Amino acid sequence: MKPEHEAWASLRGHAAAQITPGFPDRVLNAARARPSPLLVAHFAMCAATAALCLAAVAIYQSGFSGDDATNQAGWSEITAQASDLEQSQ
Amino acid sequence: MRELIIAYQRRVAGFAYAITGRSDSVEDLAQMVFVKMARAIDRLKTPEQFESWLFRLARNTCIDHLRRQKLRRIFTPFGPEHENVPEPAGAVDSEELDALRHALAQLRPKDRALLALVQEGRSHAEIAETFRTSVAAVKARLHRAREQLRQHYNSDET
Repeated sequence: MKPEHEAWASLRGHAAAQITPGFPDRVLNAARARPSPLLVAHFAMCAATAALCLAAVAIYQSGFSGDDATNQAGWSEITAQASDLEQSQ
Repeated sequence: MRELIIAYQRRVAGFAYAITGRSDSVEDLAQMVFVKMARAIDRLKTPEQFESWLFRLARNTCIDHLRRQKLRRIFTPFGPEHENVPEPAGAVDSEELDALRHALAQLRPKDRALLALVQEGRSHAEIAETFRTSVAAVKARLHRAREQLRQHYNSDET
């Protein structure tokens, strides 16, 4: 590692120079901050989308159960008519 | 807490730069590391292991950052012109640093992290704990990484 020794020192110096004044205060403020509103909005959007999907599925399902009831009523009527016909013969 | 940040900010910045190779993300990464440190320091049971804990945090943050970048590239149509965007003019002021930066860029991120941890004076045992591997494996990987770095460094310099 000998030839790179100076280069490593230079690398550390160059990186340290990227830290701007007031860095510790910015870190402490960020550490104290609550989750960003953007993150909260993101989760709210996810929850709203999930709720909408569930509602859509429920409406779709209830539509099917309405159809089922109509079909069942129709078939009952046909069965009743068939048995009436059978009895009359 | 403020004193801790001041004491370690230069070292953490150097460490992040060695792993990512981008000076424009050094401050953001250092900030992420120290925010994590500030939020989790109460859970550190052995204060004498603070340094090794901090650099483990820094290593994980940098590796996660590189992973996220890689993932972003899958979803964003990156053109060849976006790859390896050079540092802004004047950002790198010495040939040695430039050669080292290019040599490091040829290594895998985990090998860069390994070399940076050694530069930070971490022992083989501490590095083994960080990488969740054996000391023998660390020594072997370190030997390989040093060889590769030397090869690329010398070829860049010539």
